[in-house]
Amino acid sequence: MQKIELMAPAGNFESLQAALDNGADSVYFGVEQLNMRARASINFTLDDLQEISRRCKEKDVRTYLTLNTIIYDHDLSIVKTLIKKAKEADITAVIAMDQAVIASAREVGMEVHISTQINITNVETVKFYAIFADTMVLSRELSLSQVKKITKQIEKDQIKGPSGKLVEIEIFGHGALCMAVSGKCYMSLHSHNSSANRGACKQNCRKKYTVIDQETGFEMELDNEYIMSPKDLCTIDFLDQVADAGIKVLKIEGRGRAPEYVAKVIKCYREAIDSLENGTYNKNEVIIWMQELEKVYNRGFWNGYYLGQKLGEWSKGSGSHATQKKVYIGKGVHYFPKANVGEFKIEAYDLCIGDTILVTGPTTGAKEIKVKEMLVNDEKLNKGSKDDSITIPLNFRIRPSDKLYKIVEHKVEA
Amino acid sequence: MVVVTLQRNKCIGCNYCVELAPDQFRMSKKDGKSVLLHSKDKKGFFTLKSNNHLIFDYCEKAAKACPVNIITVKDI
Repeated sequence: MQKIELMAPAGNFESLQAALDNGADSVYFGVEQLNMRARASINFTLDDLQEISRRCKEKDVRTYLTLNTIIYDHDLSIVKTLIKKAKEADITAVIAMDQAVIASAREVGMEVHISTQINITNVETVKFYAIFADTMVLSRELSLSQVKKITKQIEKDQIKGPSGKLVEIEIFGHGALCMAVSGKCYMSLHSHNSSANRGACKQNCRKKYTVIDQETGFEMELDNEYIMSPKDLCTIDFLDQVADAGIKVLKIEGRGRAPEYVAKVIKCYREAIDSLENGTYNKNEVIIWMQELEKVYNRGFWNGYYLGQKLGEWSKGSGSHATQKKVYIGKGVHYFPKANVGEFKIEAYDLCIGDTILVTGPTTGAKEIKVKEMLVNDEKLNKGSKDDSITIPLNFRIRPSDKLYKIVEHKVEA
Repeated sequence: MVVVTLQRNKCIGCNYCVELAPDQFRMSKKDGKSVLLHSKDKKGFFTLKSNNHLIFDYCEKAAKACPVNIITVKDI
């Protein structure tokens, strides 16, 4: 079995660090507006490229710049600038959809990956894009047997990319799925003038809808009003079959999600991929991973289209079904490296011994730890409250830019 | 007076404002984002003050069409 590369989403430095700390082999991220999360208020800027590259190189993690929206003439110059700067920063590859981006990247000798937005569903298309790209993300709507057919054929026909190596196939392993075929949804554009294919999806498929026959006025009886909101994809429970399909890269969706989401999901999939490699992957482990994955943002899980299911499974509520949530408590103040102790200022709620805290920050990433002891205003107490200064032994450094959260149980509405 | 503002850094370059108010907006070839012509920059908010009331309707259409709601138009 070939080694699977685990690719993590990085919407900001917090998530990037969380991905690096939890064992991602590669990260993908958007810079400025031409990516599928253009709407996100937090996007990297051109100036961040060097820092992203530096942090990832330290850990030998590959870096992919997403530049996969549709492109207009007025974008051509910024496309070239982005690619040039990415090349200068030694970013590994560009994830592209538009031919203009593919051409621009090739012009400067930058590796190209074909985005799922292109929707590759057969081996002839793989052959076509092999002229330009070494890695291709297949359509998310294929079954694993269809994926396997393609990877087998790549080997049989020796389909090679520009690097001279066999084309590598990447698929989505975890996270949100679209109600439409990826890259072909116009719902947000039609209803809100906000094109998903320019990275501005309004996610209106995630809302409740009723279906009424306009002719008769009869309302269709539906047992679930979220008729267009698919559950989130999860493949950890059949990762052995995913690996068997001959894929090389497993991509985790979620550039718009929180750093603790990235930390948790990457940690679980890292363990799962490693256990596949050393032959210890088993059902008991899967149960534990699933419980962990359910703690962070999710719309409920299903297997996507990979196991050949005909119809989608729809989410049963708006927003997350996560079993845990974070509550803002305060912020970082100082770290005492000799004593390995972090000082925080509580700004809201209480913090008690036994609570699980989450610390997030651009350099810290997302770190979770159980509070076993703490000092409240230099006194050994069990509880800290608003305006208290607390110190907690920590095995990682914290910074004044860090935020402190408490992890609490979250009741999931049925 | 018509006051138009554009919060430029949030622009995703969709081109709608240029389509609807071509005399007030243009796409920058440099960074692919919208430019509000003859405007002044104040901390990222580009403001155009004009005595030409004819631009109001065009700019309002652009503001309504903007998918990231970064255009405002006021008649004061």
